[in-house]
Amino acid sequence: MRLLVIEDERELAGLIRAAMEQAGFTADHAATALAAASYLGATSYDAAILDLGLPDSDGFLLLRQLRRRNTTLPVLILTARDAPEDRVTGLDSGADDYLIKPFHMPELIARIRALLRRPNAALGIRLVLGNLVLDTVSRQTLIAGAKTHLTLRETTMLELLLRDQGRVVFREVLENRLYSFDSELGSNALEVLIHRLRRRLQESGASLTIHTVRGIGYLLSESS
Amino acid sequence: MLLPTPPREWSLASRLAWRMSLLMFGAIALAAAAVAWGSISTLQDLDDAGLQQQVHIVAANLPPQDTPFALPPAITKPFQDSDGDNVFIVYGPDRARLATSDAAQAAEAEIFLPRSFRQGFFRIPVLAGHKHGMVGFALPVGRRWVIVLQGREQSSVITASLMSSFMAGAVWLLMPIGFAAMMVSVLTLRRGLRPILRVSATAATVGAQPGVRLPLAGLPREVTPLVEAVNEALTRLEQIIATQRRFMAEAAHGLRTPLAVLTARLDSLQAPQAEALRRDADRMARLVSQLLSMARLESLPLTVTCQVDLREAAVEAITTLAPIAVQRGIELALLGPESPMPIQGNHDALVLALTNLIENALNHAPRGTAVEVIGSVPATISVRDAGPGIPPAEIPRLLQPFQRGAATVQGGAGLGLAIVSRIAAAHAGTINAKTGPEGGCVFTLTFPVPAI
Repeated sequence: MRLLVIEDERELAGLIRAAMEQAGFTADHAATALAAASYLGATSYDAAILDLGLPDSDGFLLLRQLRRRNTTLPVLILTARDAPEDRVTGLDSGADDYLIKPFHMPELIARIRALLRRPNAALGIRLVLGNLVLDTVSRQTLIAGAKTHLTLRETTMLELLLRDQGRVVFREVLENRLYSFDSELGSNALEVLIHRLRRRLQESGASLTIHTVRGIGYLLSESS
Repeated sequence: MLLPTPPREWSLASRLAWRMSLLMFGAIALAAAAVAWGSISTLQDLDDAGLQQQVHIVAANLPPQDTPFALPPAITKPFQDSDGDNVFIVYGPDRARLATSDAAQAAEAEIFLPRSFRQGFFRIPVLAGHKHGMVGFALPVGRRWVIVLQGREQSSVITASLMSSFMAGAVWLLMPIGFAAMMVSVLTLRRGLRPILRVSATAATVGAQPGVRLPLAGLPREVTPLVEAVNEALTRLEQIIATQRRFMAEAAHGLRTPLAVLTARLDSLQAPQAEALRRDADRMARLVSQLLSMARLESLPLTVTCQVDLREAAVEAITTLAPIAVQRGIELALLGPESPMPIQGNHDALVLALTNLIENALNHAPRGTAVEVIGSVPATISVRDAGPGIPPAEIPRLLQPFQRGAATVQGGAGLGLAIVSRIAAAHAGTINAKTGPEGGCVFTLTFPVPAI
């Protein structure tokens, strides 16, 4: 996994690179938009971390140029600006995520991992959290190294929650992905499924918890 | 900066209509007066000439004697036929009456005649049967005097009839013209001012997005200076706002970059004190973030004219804070209707306000309890925690910047609720805090419902 860190603040860039490499990524650093463009042209990256305030150009411009070339390179914007208009511009110009400075390194790593887990990302066959591993191709779930039997729906539910681990997944999203339009959907079908999945995870000794955010959705995190 | 408002609004059109009608009535009155004046003086001239002629006819036919005599009927008859309107009297040298056309009239008029005659006109103010008085002419013939009197009614009757026929004509002619003139002016005014309504409609959209200028096309020359001045003022305001925005962005960058370096460095630190240092850095980062939010709210206008969904804002705020709630073992829930709660406002500001309220609740809620966000129709949203609650006396103070409650947790800057309060005010909404039914604290934001 190769990342490009586009950040003019050298010290911060150095710290990000170090943290990324410790997390198992390879990271290059570009301090200007010009350097970033030549790096991106020279080799292919799996994701980019882009600071908006570059000395030679606005980060938005670089992002727009990138998107015009029709690349699906996942881009996480790193910025000190949090004015509403900046946020809108960032998501309009095709950023995949947005993190406001200052940020914690584990958060940045988690976000980058989430970007790489996206279905359109090249890799990400194995989804990992705590002692659980889900192979998205073979649909196999391993908990603490032991094969665990989950139904098709339970596996899909787990996959959806794993792809967005640590974040709220909306009920509507889960319902849409789990049930076809014609299937009779009871008002508490989702609750029943979650309940079953929770029991299975608990029985198998998984170190994860599915938290309910009542009225909104569910959040999967490592048990504390 | 604001001009004092006039005591009452007035309409240019109705003012013009009023003045036009006043002018029209004035013009009719003036024309009537001119006609009356003209006809009266003409009639008088005619009468005066007639009077002299009559005197000369009488004088020419006087017999030579100084004793009473009778004039031939050819002369007397017309006087007698005038029914007392025209009278002649001839006086001898000792002012003895020698002849008259009407003895009774003559006797009555005699007392009003001048004591000594002088050739020329004179007036008799009132006389029985002549309430407008009479005009007389005296002419000496040798030692005798010929006097002819004529009633004033004749001229006034003629004048009155002339006036009434003139008024009839003038009113029928002038009134419609005047009315038409008035309508034309009012309509011209209305039409001429219609572009101003268009300008007002554009002016109402100022603020939604920059670069809005009032259209000059179709405006009358009289109001273009105002509109141009407003446009220039808008340009200046936008420049000020742009400068302010740039300053805020630079301040944010300047403050956050070193904090980001510090946080990143602390995250890579394995020392036992690292955790405490990370908390300190987080606290500073939070303070900076709130200061920047507060400064932005104070120095930049908040656009609150978009259609936004209050429920969606709540969902976004809850989604952002859910990981923190999970970390702290607090359940986060959204209660209330699942339908949208549309209001006019600013989505990001509402998310910020709700984020601050929920963060505040998370800071006070004990582990294992729930923080509930409750929407209620049409546009009210509450955040309820199961914390210790706040004494009612502290509530107004808490909504001021840098004020912290007695129960404040370590790290609070005292800006969160002040920010919420500003955002509520910018939306013409209210913030209310009270102790919940089962203890704890309930903060409620209420927004005006958009007119349907």
